[in-house]
Amino acid sequence: MSEILNPYYLQIVMFFIINAIMGISIFFTLSTGQLTLGAAGFMSVGAYVGALLTLKAELPIPIAIFIGGIVAALVAVVIGLPTTRLKGLYLAIATLGFGEVVRVIFLNLEVTNGALGLSGIPAIAQELTNYVYEFDMDGLLDIDALTWGNLLTIIILLVILALVILFCLRIHNSRVGRAFQAIKADDHAAELMGINVVYYKMLAFVIGAFIAGIGGGLYAHITNFINPTDFSYHKVVQILLFPVFGGSNVVWGSVLGSFILTLLPEVLRFLADYRDIIYGALLVILMAVRPDGILTEDLMDKIYRKLGVKKKAYIPETQVLTERFEAYKAQSKSGQE
Amino acid sequence: MKKSMFKRALALGATAILAAAIAGCGGNSSSTNNANEAKVALLTTTSGAAAAYGESIKNGAELAVAQINGDANNVKINLLVEDTKGDKNEAINAMNKVIAKDKVVAVIGPMLSGEMMAAGPIANKNKVVALGTSTTAEGITDIGDYIFRNAVPESLAVDAAIRQSHKVLGFKTAAIMYSNNNDQMVSVNNTAKKALESEGVQIVATETFADKDTDFSAQLTKIQQAKPDIIIVASLYQEGALIMKKMRELGMNQPVVGSNGFNSPAFIKNAGAAADGAIVGTPWFPNKDDQKVRDFRKAYVEKYGHEPDQFAAQAYDAVFLYESALKAAGSTTDREKFRNALKGITDFVGVTGKFQFNEKRDPSMEVQVLQIKNGQFDALQK
Amino acid sequence: MFLQQLVNGLTLGSLYAVLAIGLTLVFGVLNIINMAHGGIFMIGAFVGLFMVTVFEVNIFVAILVAMVVGAILGYLLEFVALRPLRKKNVSHLAPLISTIGVSIFIESVALLVWGPQTRSFPPDFIGGLIDFGMFKISMVQIIGLGVSIVLMLILNVLIKKTKIGKAIRAVSLSTETASLLGINPTLVISVTVMLASALGSAAGVLVGLSFDAVEPMMGVVIGFKGLAVLILGGLGNITGAMVGGFILGVSEVFSVAYGASSYRDAVAFGLIILLLFWRPQGLFGSKDKGGRP
Repeated sequence: MSEILNPYYLQIVMFFIINAIMGISIFFTLSTGQLTLGAAGFMSVGAYVGALLTLKAELPIPIAIFIGGIVAALVAVVIGLPTTRLKGLYLAIATLGFGEVVRVIFLNLEVTNGALGLSGIPAIAQELTNYVYEFDMDGLLDIDALTWGNLLTIIILLVILALVILFCLRIHNSRVGRAFQAIKADDHAAELMGINVVYYKMLAFVIGAFIAGIGGGLYAHITNFINPTDFSYHKVVQILLFPVFGGSNVVWGSVLGSFILTLLPEVLRFLADYRDIIYGALLVILMAVRPDGILTEDLMDKIYRKLGVKKKAYIPETQVLTERFEAYKAQSKSGQE
Repeated sequence: MKKSMFKRALALGATAILAAAIAGCGGNSSSTNNANEAKVALLTTTSGAAAAYGESIKNGAELAVAQINGDANNVKINLLVEDTKGDKNEAINAMNKVIAKDKVVAVIGPMLSGEMMAAGPIANKNKVVALGTSTTAEGITDIGDYIFRNAVPESLAVDAAIRQSHKVLGFKTAAIMYSNNNDQMVSVNNTAKKALESEGVQIVATETFADKDTDFSAQLTKIQQAKPDIIIVASLYQEGALIMKKMRELGMNQPVVGSNGFNSPAFIKNAGAAADGAIVGTPWFPNKDDQKVRDFRKAYVEKYGHEPDQFAAQAYDAVFLYESALKAAGSTTDREKFRNALKGITDFVGVTGKFQFNEKRDPSMEVQVLQIKNGQFDALQK
Repeated sequence: MFLQQLVNGLTLGSLYAVLAIGLTLVFGVLNIINMAHGGIFMIGAFVGLFMVTVFEVNIFVAILVAMVVGAILGYLLEFVALRPLRKKNVSHLAPLISTIGVSIFIESVALLVWGPQTRSFPPDFIGGLIDFGMFKISMVQIIGLGVSIVLMLILNVLIKKTKIGKAIRAVSLSTETASLLGINPTLVISVTVMLASALGSAAGVLVGLSFDAVEPMMGVVIGFKGLAVLILGGLGNITGAMVGGFILGVSEVFSVAYGASSYRDAVAFGLIILLLFWRPQGLFGSKDKGGRP
């Protein structure tokens, strides 16, 4: 048991989950056909705001992380107003530029401690370990308190990841999700159909930034130390690889991509100096074999069918509205009585 | 067609899993340990932007291990080298791996101060010693009781270099140039400012650049305008060499006080004649009249074909420090005994001179101020 | 000081320009960003260095050889990483990742073969500083500036006047129409990538020479700046890449000279964000290029 639960493996699992959250943040804007590379920028905003709030204002970690996400979303509103009207690679590079500008600002600010970074950020696992002692769980199931702390952290991270995935799946099958798909397929046609393209693009951009901000906050409170170099150009490329490698058209693609790409460098560790060569070659081969990533919509349908999960039939919106109206009537009636 | 592609993707996945299995096996087989052999991990950077420095550390440490293991009477050291790529996450993962999976008795590294800030707390939490050989930034040993370093902090080295050269050269104005995305160099800037101010030297310009920059003409042109008597440069040796060359090319012939990284044969090699006049404070003096230093240089050149630098020397000393601690601890597996033994070392003499840890687990050793003359390090004189 | 800094900026800018032209050529024809450009740039620098140190040829021959090697690498790049993706109708995320893979591959092989140490050209290889009183310029700077400008002029003639140049322009307007007109798109694409890589290689030698530093990771940072120039000038526009390169070089240097050097790296991208507010398609870009996600 303790073999499997050793901190090394647990740490990798934590990084995998955070990477998955970051991958989904890029996937989210990709689902409206926008390639944004600002994820590292928003991540750093979330990380710094969250870390400063716990360090300097001594707020509880969950609240600090949440505020970090909100601030990242607010920044996205400001940045998004002009940038979401950009197209294709112009948007990609402009958002990449945003990330770079943010990094340089953090490098120069006094409160972020410049290149020295913020250290001693309270760790989620540490806090949870304290609870473990408090509730006398040390040694429970032959698992010591530190491991319990790590395990509980992973459970919390998993819950957050599950919420994010659920949110994506729910949106996918909603009016908003269909608007996203229409815009991705052809934004001019979508506009002609009466979809407010700017609004939906902005929505996706801001939600993506919020998710990235949350991811950043979690990252800061797991690694205990952040500095501007953590959020450089390399990070963006790394994050972008997750959805594209795993499959950029389905949310599970980001999860699978981050799983493989977090694990791969660790698995390839024994190759030492040859590790990156293999890694680079793998990327090229995978793109040649599966240019849309490992998971595609077709493949997901197949998997769903194999698993026996039936896809919900498409319900026309009028029907949904009628049902809701009926429900509302029933409710207001019962309220009157 | 589509099907075969899918199969190929599956095959790809299978290969990855197979590789994982092989890696797992490899890890297990190496964990069979004989009682006389101590497992020590070296976390360093052999790929990525800072690989040039990590390579030296690895060389120095491996040379020391080969010498120790070559002696039949010694404790044997099994050195596991892990690449951290200069990346914090990799450092955290590697630290966890060597502590939890490989169960090493102690760790040397990680190499960069930023990596130590992130991975050091893990070692400390697990009560495993981590000793930095090149982590020179402020606050490293504040991480906890299990964090040591034999890297002379920049606050000591640069401070000594500035004060001594002020005494010898008597300059009145100075300019500072430092890498502002490198935590160690930001520390140097703080130290240099303090030292200059307390010596009553006026700072006429402060310019910054980033690690891996290659074009310094704009900053140097600006500094040239301010006409300082001396220039303090805080950078790793690669950027340092480029800065020196550009300075001399622009006709700026002021002496330069460099940070720790300047003390490297690679710096002289890269900068060529432009290196002359550079001043550095360091515990590592390659031309020191000392048998240990000569032997080390000879063995190193034999093995790797080039001269060792400070990074190699400090890693070499670190391994021998570990050997002494292992002997004193009388155990090759007990982490707590090892820590206490390491802390208690008093009469250690390495290639960087006489060495012991102070109460904060920082090195307490003598810093020598050297100046490069005709491509050689020499004691600083007027 | 103003003139001196202007010279510094123009030298830097000319190097950015040569680098970015390679990126923009590939973008124009293939609609993709070639992330492996920085890797080929680095190999070019090493080839140039070895020509000079081992074979002791003069710098112009070294640049030529580096360009030939670059072209061969370009062909390989196109064959391995781009051609398999062109057969299927894929989004241009795939080539982006594929070329990132190639760049990781090239850089790590170089690291393994040549080691991480910075190498430099022989001392006083191209010596001398010419003093014009108002400003000084080194021979190295003159060569960097000169060769860049000559290469840009040659490329201009090649694109505007020759048959292959016309074919490249035709394919970049519309691959389908061009192939209907009897142009072989595969050939044109290969030639374009080779041409771009040769230019990237040449830029590598020039940068290696100008800053006297050649090492395996040198393509990363400067490749990033190349992206900035690419967008600044407008995707796929050669004039844009040239002008954008000079603008970036000069503004970076001036931000140090008259502002704070610690914000230097933000200047490139801050500039771009501001510019894109005003012209969403870059300085010289056409409205419909690069629009596809």
